[in-house]
Amino acid sequence: MIRVADESLVRVVTLDRADKRNALTPEMLIGLADALRVGGETRAVLLRGSGRVFCAGFDLTLCRDDGEDQSTLRALLEGLSEAVGAMRACPAPVVVAAHGAAIAGGCALLAGADVVVSDGDAKLGYPVTILGVSPAVNAAYLKLAMGDGAARRALLVPELFSGAEGYRLGLVHDLVVSREDVEGEARTIAETIASKPGTGTHATKAWLNELEHERENNSRDGLNASLSLVGGGESRELLKKAWTK
Amino acid sequence: MPNDSATLTLNGPVARLELNRPDSRNAMSLELLSALHEGTDELAARAVDEGVTVCVLTGAGRAFCAGMDLKQIVIEQGGQPGSAPDTPERLLTSLAELTLKVRDLPCVTVARVNGAAIGGGCGLACVCDVTVTHADAKLGFPEVDLGLCPAVVAPWVVTKVGAGRARAMLLRGGIMSGADAHRHGIADEVSESRETLDNLVESITTRLASGGPSALRATKGLLNDLDGEQERQAVLAGAKLSASVVVSAGAQSVLRARLDANR
Repeated sequence: MIRVADESLVRVVTLDRADKRNALTPEMLIGLADALRVGGETRAVLLRGSGRVFCAGFDLTLCRDDGEDQSTLRALLEGLSEAVGAMRACPAPVVVAAHGAAIAGGCALLAGADVVVSDGDAKLGYPVTILGVSPAVNAAYLKLAMGDGAARRALLVPELFSGAEGYRLGLVHDLVVSREDVEGEARTIAETIASKPGTGTHATKAWLNELEHERENNSRDGLNASLSLVGGGESRELLKKAWTK
Repeated sequence: MPNDSATLTLNGPVARLELNRPDSRNAMSLELLSALHEGTDELAARAVDEGVTVCVLTGAGRAFCAGMDLKQIVIEQGGQPGSAPDTPERLLTSLAELTLKVRDLPCVTVARVNGAAIGGGCGLACVCDVTVTHADAKLGFPEVDLGLCPAVVAPWVVTKVGAGRARAMLLRGGIMSGADAHRHGIADEVSESRETLDNLVESITTRLASGGPSALRATKGLLNDLDGEQERQAVLAGAKLSASVVVSAGAQSVLRARLDANR
């Protein structure tokens, strides 16, 4: 469900589960992290989703059969933390083509990216507290992307915002009008980055990572904050309620 | 290059410090940087006593600052002529120290970006408290286009526009218009044209200078404290990192080709 294609200097990684709006499974998140472990011959990574939207978030239907320990939800949160960490650790810049929608875990992937392209009407956001799930796992990255004030609102208010609003807030760096144009624009950016000498680009990304290193350590606390709710009565009850709706 | 100079004008509450090397688009040579250090030191020493509350930093001629002087960062290598091998690190360290010094000035700094502000030149504009330009000016960080690493200016860009926007901007490289620089937070205010820039700068400096000098200094001092010592150390460490990339064989061949093309 993760497809990898090396097109010359650009590695194209695809979330390929279009019938489920690319909803993330633990296996997909592990596969995504693996796909981002690239060698020196990769100068840029393009992350895209197949079908109508980029990513609808965790596939929570998988958690339906979870026991009291909610082990699938735990695996999803750990996988997301791993995948977003791998986006930063990837020596080549990661460009995300976020067309149509990037919700919850899907939106978290945008915060981990180096460059995000989206469309004005795309649906973005983290409406997960209503499910008793904490988006804390992504908080450190979201604060880096849009600043503290906007990140608080995005994480605490369970609402979606548009791609245009995401651009205003700094989560989206390049905005196109229609979702059909997102991938082409993202591909052009990835190819342009890949056409430049690798030494400067790699050194620059590594330096930017180092500058935020202290804050990145907080992302471990974020995962722990999210995991602390797993197996609790609140998330089991609220998730059950969501499925019976 | 005895003509590389910086002109400090002290006359009332609004001072002016001008990069004065217009023939080279105010590109930063060791000599120009040294002159800017002197001007900044003098301003720092006299500002409080002489009631200077605002300083406008700008460039003589058409450009604000074209970045590092290409002639000085191409080094002698493999029988080809060029600067001494330690020149890039001296240049970048001098730039790093200058940015810290400008940040610490006891008056509010306004960058009047009258034209091109490229690489380290754009970094210098970002260090100022308020960055003003016109819609057609060219600003940006094209370091990665040349295989270089903008390590000295990165901490300042992160501080100014936020880590996420800085990441996208520095990794994509290239040059943007003054209008886009305003959209992305690099410029705080933008005039419609080069011709109307001075009206805008004038209105901003007048507004700034109407503030109480102690209130301005206390506010700027607090904002500087919030920069954090770690970020300041990163600026200096960035000079070494950036220089190590500049002197690499790959970067030198790109820079030398660029220098030959300019001749």
